[in-house]
Amino acid sequence: MMARLDTLPARQVAAGIAAGDFTAVEVARASLDAIAARDGQVQAFLQVSEELALAAATRIDAARAAGEPLPPLAGVPVAFKDNMNLLGTRTTCASRMLESYESAYTATCVQRMLDAGVIPLGKLNMDEFAFGSTTDSSAFHPTNNPWDTRRVPGGSSGGSAAAVAAGEVTVALGSDTGGSIRQPASLCGVVGMKPTYGVVSRYGVVAFGSSLDQVGPFGRRVEDVALAMSALVAGGRDRLDSTSQDCEQDYLAHLDDPIEGRAVGIIPALLEAEGLAPEVRAAMQEAIGKLAASGARIVEVDLPNMANSIAAYYALAPCEAFSNLARFDGVRYGYQEPGCTALSEQLSLSRAHGFGVEAKRRQMLGAYLLSSGVYDKYYLAAQKVRTLITADYQRAFAQVDAILMPSSPTVAWEHGSISDPAALYLSDIYTISSNIAGNCGISVPVCLGAQSGLPIGAQLQGRAFADATLLTFARALERACEMEGAVAPACAGKGGEL
Amino acid sequence: MPLTKQDVAGIADYARIALTDAELDEMTAYLNDAIALLDPILEYELDDVEPTFHPIGELVNVVRDDVVAAGLPLEEALANASSRRGRSFRVPAILVDGGVA
Repeated sequence: MMARLDTLPARQVAAGIAAGDFTAVEVARASLDAIAARDGQVQAFLQVSEELALAAATRIDAARAAGEPLPPLAGVPVAFKDNMNLLGTRTTCASRMLESYESAYTATCVQRMLDAGVIPLGKLNMDEFAFGSTTDSSAFHPTNNPWDTRRVPGGSSGGSAAAVAAGEVTVALGSDTGGSIRQPASLCGVVGMKPTYGVVSRYGVVAFGSSLDQVGPFGRRVEDVALAMSALVAGGRDRLDSTSQDCEQDYLAHLDDPIEGRAVGIIPALLEAEGLAPEVRAAMQEAIGKLAASGARIVEVDLPNMANSIAAYYALAPCEAFSNLARFDGVRYGYQEPGCTALSEQLSLSRAHGFGVEAKRRQMLGAYLLSSGVYDKYYLAAQKVRTLITADYQRAFAQVDAILMPSSPTVAWEHGSISDPAALYLSDIYTISSNIAGNCGISVPVCLGAQSGLPIGAQLQGRAFADATLLTFARALERACEMEGAVAPACAGKGGEL
Repeated sequence: MPLTKQDVAGIADYARIALTDAELDEMTAYLNDAIALLDPILEYELDDVEPTFHPIGELVNVVRDDVVAAGLPLEEALANASSRRGRSFRVPAILVDGGVA
């Protein structure tokens, strides 16, 4: 049977291997071939782990030959954001600070994907330490949007979104602290999910904001994302992450449930907000119409404090980042400034020369906000605003099962066209509040923009720990649109035959 | 009152990030812009609002039984260090000229 890897859902990759249509090694080679043919333009990868991929594939083929039962994602090509430890790879966070850091162990989220049988293809580019929304702050190279390589893929998980959109891998993992999965998913035309805080273990993922960070999957189909979610929660609570919850379940079980009569919230003021591109607004109205045509009840809700979520986030996240990044002292690991005669000099110069501009900015902001006399004014006040934002969501989710809004106010923009950091921070307006409250969100591609021709994603947000319900609505939206499985046209079909 | 360059030099010292003179200028402008972005939270009357430090309420400390378990082997723990001596990480002098370096 001849097939192109980038056209196959994860389920069909695993089924094809189980049926003997192709081997796992053939799948691994097809993915490596697609990366070789496409990634020169896209630059999603920081490392391609060919040896690990072929070894994993060989194990799956041996298991099949021995008649052993195959795991659910056997042979599915997957890659990981480079803030996730995987033994046998470096974990750089796209920073000079960790340029030569060899993973000392494997993150739980990565291990659970491996346990589900995936083929690990490597590590993906990101904004340095996940500070950004373009992936341009990577210390090594930018990543290009596969739909138009002059444009950014979004960020911070831009490599993850781009690798999936380019059809180089079937699934990728990213992390989302303020929108870093949902925004690049929207800009690259793929599905990206931020699960509820606590659903996926953060053990082995380099921390940015410990009360905000959450790992989640990217795929070209909601079903692939649901399969990855099931793998990520298999085994229940992770004893290595004290905030991890027992959420073990099959996210496919209710994926195709009808949404007739169920309520989807919209926030009219958000759809009229300044800065929202007309083609994105039109796409949201179309998506609302399609959900209504699928039988959903459209209900107006309000999140009155959402407009201030950016202020709350930038009072909280830099503080958590400053605390977490204090560990990078150049002593136990990381860049160490040579030739220093005193420890304090070595610390300050290692951090000055190991971190890039944005990483230094965020830590400086955090250091200021946590200083004596300033803490109460901003940090503590922001934690109180967090209470109000969370209460807004509780009121809204008493009325509706999901809330629809944009993932990003615009389509992908050209590299370098936004240079003011504050302007970039404002682009997170639609995603940031769900990190503050901890509830779940997913971006689903709904159409190509009428003006730009670039992908637009609609974001659905769900109540905390109702991730399965959120996936049901995402699947309903996907069914109603015509973007399922789309590979960026410039990449589709280049290499990767099976 | 906006932060001055001297204020920012103090923050850099506290954050253990050595900044050049030009970087201090850029950072001063950045920090003042970023702090202005936080103004909306100063508009709130929050005396009666409890803070939420974490999205999962009622978090409790997770402990395990106090039994010896395998940890990261010494060689692996030292493998990423730029400088080591024997079983230890090696650093320059902590005390210089009778005070903290």
